[in-house]
Amino acid sequence: MTLIDDFALLEKNGFKLLPYSMAKSENEAAMMAKQIGYPVAIKIVSRDIEHKSDIGGVKIGIRNEEMLRLSYRDIMQRAVGKRIDGMLVQRMARKGVELIIGGKKDPQFGHMVILGLGGIYVEIFRDVSARICPITSADFSEMMAELKSHPLLEGARGKKPINKKALEHLALHACRFMMKEDIKELDLNPVVCDEKGCDIVDARFIR
Amino acid sequence: MRKIVKNLDSVFKPKSVAIVGASTTSNKIGNVLMKNFLDARFKGEIYPVNPKHDEVMGKRCYAKASDIPKRVDLVIIATPAETVPDIMADCAKKKVGGIIILSGGFEEVGRNDLAQKIRDTCEKNDIPLVGPNCLGIYDPYTKVDSIFLPMYKLERPKAGGIAFVTQSGAVGSAVMDLAAYYGLGISKFISYGNSTVLNESDYLEYLAQDAETDAIILYIEGAKDGRKLLEAMKKTNRIKPIIALKAGKGLGGQAAARSHTGNIAGSYMAYQAAFKQAKVTEAEGISELFDFVKIYNQPIPKGNRIGIITNGGGMGVLAADYIEDSDLELAKFSPETVKSLAKIIPSYGTVANPLDLVADAGVDGYTKSIDAMMSDPGIDALVIVVLLQTPPIDERVIHVLATAADSRRKPFVTISVGGAYTEAYRKIMESKGIPSYDSPRAAVKALEKFVTYSKYCKDIGKS
Repeated sequence: MTLIDDFALLEKNGFKLLPYSMAKSENEAAMMAKQIGYPVAIKIVSRDIEHKSDIGGVKIGIRNEEMLRLSYRDIMQRAVGKRIDGMLVQRMARKGVELIIGGKKDPQFGHMVILGLGGIYVEIFRDVSARICPITSADFSEMMAELKSHPLLEGARGKKPINKKALEHLALHACRFMMKEDIKELDLNPVVCDEKGCDIVDARFIR
Repeated sequence: MRKIVKNLDSVFKPKSVAIVGASTTSNKIGNVLMKNFLDARFKGEIYPVNPKHDEVMGKRCYAKASDIPKRVDLVIIATPAETVPDIMADCAKKKVGGIIILSGGFEEVGRNDLAQKIRDTCEKNDIPLVGPNCLGIYDPYTKVDSIFLPMYKLERPKAGGIAFVTQSGAVGSAVMDLAAYYGLGISKFISYGNSTVLNESDYLEYLAQDAETDAIILYIEGAKDGRKLLEAMKKTNRIKPIIALKAGKGLGGQAAARSHTGNIAGSYMAYQAAFKQAKVTEAEGISELFDFVKIYNQPIPKGNRIGIITNGGGMGVLAADYIEDSDLELAKFSPETVKSLAKIIPSYGTVANPLDLVADAGVDGYTKSIDAMMSDPGIDALVIVVLLQTPPIDERVIHVLATAADSRRKPFVTISVGGAYTEAYRKIMESKGIPSYDSPRAAVKALEKFVTYSKYCKDIGKS
């Protein structure tokens, strides 16, 4: 399964992803970025690269075509020697709190869903809470309250509280998706949330 | 409830018991079992079964269960695994009520064939089976005792309201010994071993309806069926509190997963999630099982506002620290309470929470301050520090605390920190149903768990 297949299956299952396209060349990337509308982010897609940002394979906040072309070349240089499937061009996500919604099929309890502080340091902070699927709205409120990062969701340091209903909707939906498609592991990470809503920036799952 | 689960009545409340493998040789399991029933003055009939003997301990011995002329409710089997399937078939023919198999040598050593035979016999005839590979049960009300550890080595707890369900016999017997030592009363002890026919979920379902059981301790290593356990915990915990201890928390060399979630969420996280969803109280060790369970005989608190009484400033401060760090909060005294407390404390003291009675406080100070705080509608529960080392405190304080517990006005925990003298007094407190703790941290954590469960009860409309 390629990333595009993953994204397509998620969309088919009702997940709203940021507008994206897969470019095979620099020119194609420039054209797609124009269609999607700046600012955009571009991300390398390669079966040889597990964590894109570790090799500098992600550029964000690209405001115009010149920046896009420079970023494209820079990434390609860093990825020399890797099998490259393409370059993901994606609408830039909103600014907000980076969270993870994930899930897994436990051999004993079946599907479980997790919520936590997202981004690239997920496994370092391990600030996550988990519940067995399916979950209720009350379960999800408890999951949020359990996080050490909970104050971030409530709007720390002068920020407004995030749209919790949108996040809850996503978590409940993740449960349904995993159970319906019998997903082994799921990462929606990061999911960026502000007071208006949530953007799924990256996603992967294993069947 | 499935018929086979309901039939556990035959195991816990039998009128007659057959002991297969009954022996005249002392310290053999079949000998210890006979002694258990005879020494405990089991009210029903006892039938030793063993083809090698005509008589065991003055009782006529039968070659097989079907030779017994009268009805047999419970059969306890302590013979080698290979002999068990035939014995079971004979039991089914005799239409016995229930069976406990103590012997090992089944699934745990790969003999799934033997286990399957046992399962077939039980399920076809609705015979409930405890075990195999376990200690079986102990019921202080009916004196059924299949624990093959001699009574002088493992004291049996008195009758009470705590049921104990354990996968491990070793942990189970140690906990039971401790329960006896601290004078905690139990309703049923169930060591279920391989859970070949009935598993943890079945026992929870049975205990939920059991009149003698008020609270349940569950020690679990791995569930047979996680989903079923979650449902059983949800259903049972609504009726009576479950306190669970899960062993085997590590990732256990689990292969690195390809996602962040896969790397973070191990099987223990699933158990934790299930406990939370069922609102089951999770203990982190054996001592917490006791810490948490012994408060559940207290009246349900209305909220989380705590009043502290102490005869040693520092202990009160420590308790207050832990309260601030928890979901509990320090209560504000009403003007009436302040007025009555001012009369109790020495002239140089101030009325504050924690209330420091100071070291020269006598027993009377406790009587009055407990009464004042229990009368204050702004206080939901009390933390009472009793340092027994101070000269004016003597055994009368136990009477004061026992009276406060009997009044059932508000829940409280007591804290007494000290050496042999203090521990001796704590044992007396425990035996009188006063929840006593040896550290402020343990006491506050137990109270917090109790308040959380009480809030859940209120939320679901149970008071």
